[in-house]
Amino acid sequence: MADAAPRVPVTLDGRRVLVRSGTSVAAALLEQGHWNFRVNRVSGQGRGPYCGMGVCLECEVTVNERTHVRACLERVCEGMRIGTGTAEEEGT
Amino acid sequence: MTTKTGPPTVHTAQAAVVGAGPAGLAAALELARGGLDVLLLDEQPEPGGQYYRRPGPEVLRTAGDHRPEGANLISRVRESGVRLLTGHTVWGVDDDRRTLLAVDPDGTPVQVRADWIVAATGAYERSVPFPGWQLPGVVTPGLAQHMSAEGVRLGRRTVVAGSGPFLLPVACALLERGVRVVAVAEAGRPYAPGVAALGALRFPSRLVELASYFARLTRHGVRVHQDTVVAEAHGGDHVESATLVRFSDPGRVVARHEVDVLCVGYGFRPQSDLPQLFGCSMERDPVTGDTVPRLTPVGRSSVPHVYVVGEAAGVAGAPTAVARGRAAALDILAGCGRVPDHRTRRAAAVRMASLTRFTRLTSALYPSPADLVTALTRELPGHTLVCRCECVTADTLREAASAPGGSDVPAIKGDTRAGMGLCQARECGPALEALRTGGAGTGTVPARVPLRPLPVTAVLGFSDSSREDS
Repeated sequence: MADAAPRVPVTLDGRRVLVRSGTSVAAALLEQGHWNFRVNRVSGQGRGPYCGMGVCLECEVTVNERTHVRACLERVCEGMRIGTGTAEEEGT
Repeated sequence: MTTKTGPPTVHTAQAAVVGAGPAGLAAALELARGGLDVLLLDEQPEPGGQYYRRPGPEVLRTAGDHRPEGANLISRVRESGVRLLTGHTVWGVDDDRRTLLAVDPDGTPVQVRADWIVAATGAYERSVPFPGWQLPGVVTPGLAQHMSAEGVRLGRRTVVAGSGPFLLPVACALLERGVRVVAVAEAGRPYAPGVAALGALRFPSRLVELASYFARLTRHGVRVHQDTVVAEAHGGDHVESATLVRFSDPGRVVARHEVDVLCVGYGFRPQSDLPQLFGCSMERDPVTGDTVPRLTPVGRSSVPHVYVVGEAAGVAGAPTAVARGRAAALDILAGCGRVPDHRTRRAAAVRMASLTRFTRLTSALYPSPADLVTALTRELPGHTLVCRCECVTADTLREAASAPGGSDVPAIKGDTRAGMGLCQARECGPALEALRTGGAGTGTVPARVPLRPLPVTAVLGFSDSSREDS
């Protein structure tokens, strides 16, 4: 079923992976079993997507050098470079 | 964020609708049909809001479309001449109270000036903190539903917990994707035949829907615990298990389940910060504890050209959201001399009244959210991260609440930084309000500009243009 979907290559933390076309970036990462999206600035602990609708900002990742992109609101596209595991900065 | 700099893009329209969910789509469609020039803004890449949220066409082909009526409404809006600005985040309101400040997907500032404003900003899930809720793998039921609709199998084993009718379809959606749902935990006792449920018999279709979810859960051997809440999520880097306790007797453990995904949510809260920025008169809903705008039956706020529709006006479900969107649009059309057919307006009013009765009945089945939040917050262990962004514990907040000024939510925020992180108290807000001591002071978390974290250039671009204008 889901396997019949067309797949596109993206780069996740420097590693090339194939993801289903047309999903959100959050869905693509979770489907890879990748749950640590960013690091909390205060505790230094990993955080993953929580609300899925752009409110909590726990799913912020870097997309093609654009920082603070909410993975739940962004769609994957071919060749996209996705970076996870960075701490949010003060004052953004 | 990498952004373009430069002057803002300026749009003008007779009516601007913020939020392209069921209410915003319905309002925009009716306004365009009435002959107005309409702009519809939404922060998502596609219209639909949360309820009609749609993944890409490739996903719909393989994973199926669980709400085809949304596609129908969206295509009618596209054909109606409404100008649709997706990927646009509205973050503020100019002093003239007619200009929306937004940012486009590239980070370029955008201004939208309109004679009429319709806020259809929807709702988000009500979270109540508990120990371990910050662990990856702990999510809201809404996230579980969206990911399931995108064809993702979110994990192997899960518990769906919280309160409200939404938990049942979410559990079913997870099952459909092959996730083992170990249990559903509902804080109240809605699923026993009782006096409160009798009124719902006048709305048999909704009962049938609820019963069909139940049947599916039973068929899959899912246990539905009532009077049960999640007391704690355990795990190191990821959630590994969850402890369930009696809501009415928190010392009593109901079960401890191993899970790799835990879904917890206590219904929905109106996203009412945009009406607050417009200066609309607000009030606290005593049942939900939520801050909602004071509105006429057709959604007009205390600021006469600002209407609030859909879930932002008070959570009542998608059919009501659509009815509210239409009713507000008809009132605006009447206000600009384009008097809609009397029968159309009357039919809209009758539909609203019927839906309002149904909402009251459904809410009566579940515990009052205000009571839930108060009771759950009281039980929180001291080490619980109440504010997950700034990592502020329940102990710290209780200390701040017992100090002078502890009855004032902004003072507690200032003392502890709770609610001042990225989500701006959208997740911990209800708990912060419940933790404050009674007495003088602001009891609610006020809306702050910007409504979302912004690229610096978006704000700079705006202030540059203000100088040019003046």
